[in-house]
Amino acid sequence: MQILKVENISKIYGDKKNARQYRAIKSISFEVKEGEFIGVMGASGSGKTTLLNILGSIDKPTNGRFMMGGKDIATLSKKQLAKHRMENIGFIFQNYNLLETMTLKENIILPLALRGTGVREMEEKVFSLAKDLGIIEVLEKYPYEVSGGEQQRAAACRALITNPKMILADEPTGNLDSKSGKELLDLLTYINKEYKATILMVTHDVFAASYCQKILFIRDGEIYNELHAGENKKQFFDAIIDVMSVLGGEVR
Amino acid sequence: MKLTALALRNIERNFKKYAMYFFSLSFSVFTAYSFLALLQNEQVSMAFAYDTRYSAMLSTFGIIIMVFVMFFLISSNNSFIKARKKEISTYALFGMENGKIGRLLFMETMIVGIAALLVGITSGIFFSKLTAMILLDITMASYTGYISFFIDFPAIYITAMTFLIIFAVMGLAGFRVISKFELADLFIADKMSEGRSKGSILLLILSVILIGTGYFLAFFGSPRVVVISSIPILLLVISGTYLFFWGGLPKVLSLLKSNKSSYYKGVNLISTAAFSHRMKSIGSLMATIAVLSAVATTAIATGFTLYTNLEKNTYDMLAYDLSYRDGDPSIKEDVYAIFKKHNIENIELYTADRYTAQVGISISGLDNDEAGALFGKEEQFIVYSQSVYNQLTELSKNDAKPVEISSGEAVYLGFYYFPESYLKQILGQKLLLPSDTVKVTATAKNKVASFGDRHSIILNDADFDRLLKAGDFSIISEGQQSAGAMTIINYEKALSSHQLNQDLYQLLHDKTKGLTLAYFHYTEGLEVFGLVCFIGFFMSAVFILMTASLLFFKQVMAAEEEQHQYKMLRKIGMDAHTEKQVITKRLFPVFLVPLAVGILHSVFAMKTADTVVFSNLIPVENTYLTVLAFSAIMYGVYAVVYGIFYFITKGQYSKIVK
Ligand SMILES: Nc1ncnc2c1ncn2[C@@H]1O[C@H](COP(=O)(O)OP(=O)(O)O)[C@@H](O)[C@H]1O
Ligand SMILES: [Mg+2]
Repeated sequence: MQILKVENISKIYGDKKNARQYRAIKSISFEVKEGEFIGVMGASGSGKTTLLNILGSIDKPTNGRFMMGGKDIATLSKKQLAKHRMENIGFIFQNYNLLETMTLKENIILPLALRGTGVREMEEKVFSLAKDLGIIEVLEKYPYEVSGGEQQRAAACRALITNPKMILADEPTGNLDSKSGKELLDLLTYINKEYKATILMVTHDVFAASYCQKILFIRDGEIYNELHAGENKKQFFDAIIDVMSVLGGEVR
Repeated sequence: MKLTALALRNIERNFKKYAMYFFSLSFSVFTAYSFLALLQNEQVSMAFAYDTRYSAMLSTFGIIIMVFVMFFLISSNNSFIKARKKEISTYALFGMENGKIGRLLFMETMIVGIAALLVGITSGIFFSKLTAMILLDITMASYTGYISFFIDFPAIYITAMTFLIIFAVMGLAGFRVISKFELADLFIADKMSEGRSKGSILLLILSVILIGTGYFLAFFGSPRVVVISSIPILLLVISGTYLFFWGGLPKVLSLLKSNKSSYYKGVNLISTAAFSHRMKSIGSLMATIAVLSAVATTAIATGFTLYTNLEKNTYDMLAYDLSYRDGDPSIKEDVYAIFKKHNIENIELYTADRYTAQVGISISGLDNDEAGALFGKEEQFIVYSQSVYNQLTELSKNDAKPVEISSGEAVYLGFYYFPESYLKQILGQKLLLPSDTVKVTATAKNKVASFGDRHSIILNDADFDRLLKAGDFSIISEGQQSAGAMTIINYEKALSSHQLNQDLYQLLHDKTKGLTLAYFHYTEGLEVFGLVCFIGFFMSAVFILMTASLLFFKQVMAAEEEQHQYKMLRKIGMDAHTEKQVITKRLFPVFLVPLAVGILHSVFAMKTADTVVFSNLIPVENTYLTVLAFSAIMYGVYAVVYGIFYFITKGQYSKIVK
C-alpha cells in the first residue's frame, strides 16, 4: 500500500525577488509503499536534508504536492502540521537527541504525552517496546547514565511509540563508530521487519545504504538514479559504490 | 589591539545580552556611589554623625550592601560566562588558547565595567540630591527642604577604585571558569545534570518541622517566649528555608512526578523535568530570595508603622508637649518669656500636686505568677483625686479617658509599659491605706503622667480629701515614686520648632525634675525609624533588583543550554501553543516560589515583630493588621518588579530557544 506520494516538489531558499535565491530541490517525484526501507543518497549539499525536512513537514516545499493518508500535507496550517508530525512521523536524530532532563522512559513517552494519551496506554506501550528492544532495566535512568547503544534504542522506541506511518532518519550513523553504526542499522532493520515500519534514511555512507531495500540518488536537487536491492547483497553494495563514485560522494 | 577590537565587536553583536549585564553593573555602581555620597553629604553627616548609633547603623548597612553587591556581581558574571559557552568554545575550536580567551573576556568585562562605572556614577550624582533629600525629609522634623546639589569627589574616587578592583576580580574569575571548561564539555551542551537531586523526604519533613516550629513559636508563644526566642525563631526558619529549597522542594517535585496522570501530560512533563534538572543550581538563590525578602519586608513594615505612628506614640507615652516635676513656681515667668520671644500665643499650663501613699496589698496566689514580682505586700502608690485626674485627661493629647469613681472605690493606673495581664491581677483587690480600705474597680495604663510611676490610684474627691486630712498621703518623694507638684504645658509648634524647644530645655533641665519634651522624643523617633525605613527601602530596592536580575541571568544561561531540546521537541510535534505553555510553566515557578515562601515567612515574622516591638517595647494598637496591610503593598511592589523581570526573562528565553 502506498503511504506517501511526492509530486514535483521543489524548494527555493532565499527571497523570491532576491537574486541570490537558491534552488535546493528542483523537481522531485517518488512514492513510498508501506513497510519499505528507503535510502536517500547524494553528495553533500545535494539537498538530502532539505528533502527529509519537507517530508517530515518541518519545512514547506516552495512548489509541488505531497500526499500522505490522502491529504496534501503542503497545504496544512502550522498547527495542523505539528499535529501531523506528532501523529504520523517518527524521527531518529543524529546523537539520538534524548532530553537529558528526563529519564529514558519519560523521553520515550514524550510524543504520547504531547498528544494527551492516557497513562495506562503509555505505560503499556513503553513496556512492550522497551522489552522488545532490551532496555527495560534502564528505563528509569537518565541518558548520561546509560550506554550509547541504550540511548539509541531509547530513541528508536520514542520514534516508534506513536505507531508513525513513517520514520525519518537523517544520517543516523553519521557520528557513530562503525560498531555502534552497525548496531543502529540492525536495529532499524529489526524495526522495519518486526513493526512493519516504513523508514526513510538519509545517508552518504555506502555501508549504511546497503541495508536499504531501495535507494534514491539525488544530485543537485534532482533524482539521478534509483537502485533496488536484489538477492545478492555484494552486488547491491557494488552497484551503490558505482553510482556514488559518479555522484562524487566520498566512498567509505 | 586586535583583542580589543574583537571584544568591542562581541559587545556590539550581543548587545541585548550585554544590556542586562550592563544594567546590573551600573545599578551596583549607582548604589555604592549613592550610599557613599550620602555618608559624605554635609547635611546628612551633621544630622547623623553626632550619634554613634546612627553612624554604626549606616556603616553596617554600607557593609551589607557592599557584600551583597560583590556576591551579586560575581555570580552574575559566572552565569554570564556560562551563557556564552558556545561562543567561547568556537574560539577554542579556532585554536585560541585559554589564556587568550580569558584575556578577551577580561577585556570585555573591563569595557562593560568602565562604561557601567561612568553611567552608575553619573546617575548617582544626579540622584544624590534626591536621595539626600528623601533621607533628610523623612528623618528630620525641622527639615526645611533645601539641599545643595553636590558632586562628591572622595565618593567618586572610592567607588571607582572599589569597582575597578571588583571588575578585575570578576575578569580574573573568568579565567578560572574557562580553565575548568574542557573543550569537549563545551560541545556536549550540559549532558550532565547540574545536580539534579531526587530530594529527600527526610529533609522535606525536617524543613517543614523547622519552619513550622518557628512559625508556631512566633504565632502562639507568649510575648516573653517570643522575645527570648526571637533569634532561635529566626535560625529555625532560615535553616528550614534552605533545607526546603535544597532537599524538600526537589522531593516535592519528585512527588509531583509520581502522580503519573498529571505528570505525563506533555506540558507538565517537559517543564517539570527541566525545572528539577536545574533545581540544585538555583535552590540556594531561591532560598536567599525567600529569606531576604521576608527580612526586608518585615523590617520596613515595622519601621514604617512605627514611623507613621510616631506622633500618636509620642503622646501616648508623654501625654503633653512638656511636663516636669517640682521646680520653683517663679520659673513659670521665664517659661512665658520664652513663649513670648517665639511669638507663641496658644498655651495651656496646668499645675497639680501629687501625693504618695503607703499601700498594703493582699493578693492571694500572686507569688507564683509573673505579676507577683510587681506587687509586694506593701507598695508606694501615687494618689490622684478624681477631679485632678480628669483635668489631666482633658489636657492630655492622647485618648486617656476621664473617670467617675464612687466612694470606697479606686481606679488603678499601671506603668505605661505593663502588659494588660499585669493590670488584671489587681482588679477587684482591696488596697489597704493607713486609715481606710478601697476596692479597685477598674484598671488602666497610666497615660497622663510620664514620670515612670509604677503604681497610681485615683480616688473619689471626697475620699481623697478625707484621707489627705487624715495624713495618709505625703507630698515628699520616697523610693521609686515621685511625688511633688507636676506642671504640664501644651503649646503651638511643639513638634516643629527646634529653637523653641531647645530654649525651653535650656531653661528647665537644671531647675526641674523629670523634664520631658514631646519634641525630643518625636524627633529621635523620626531619626531612628526614618533611618530604618530609608535603609530598608534602599536595601529592598537593591536586593530585589539584584536577585531578580540574577534569576534572569540564570534562566538566560539555562536557555542557551536548553535550546537544542526545544528544537527536538518541535520536531516530534510540539506546536507553538504548547511551547508557550511549556516556557511559562518552566519559568513561572522560578519567580513565584521564592516570593510565595517569602510572603509566608513575612506573615509570621510580622507577628514576631508585632509581639516584640509593638506589644512590648513601643505599644501601638492593632498593629498586626496595619503592618500586614502595609507589607501587602510592599509585596505588591515586589510582585510587580518580579513580574516585569519574569516577562523580560520569558521574552529573552523564548527568543533564545526559538
Ligand atoms: N536554510 C537554508 N537557507 C539557504 N540555503 C540553504 C538552507 N538550508 C540548506 N541550504 C542549501 O541548500 C542546499 C542543500 O542543503 P542540504 O539539504 O542541507 O544538503 P545535504 O543534506 O544533502 O548535505 C545546500 O547548498 C545548502 O547550502
Ligand atoms: Mg544534510
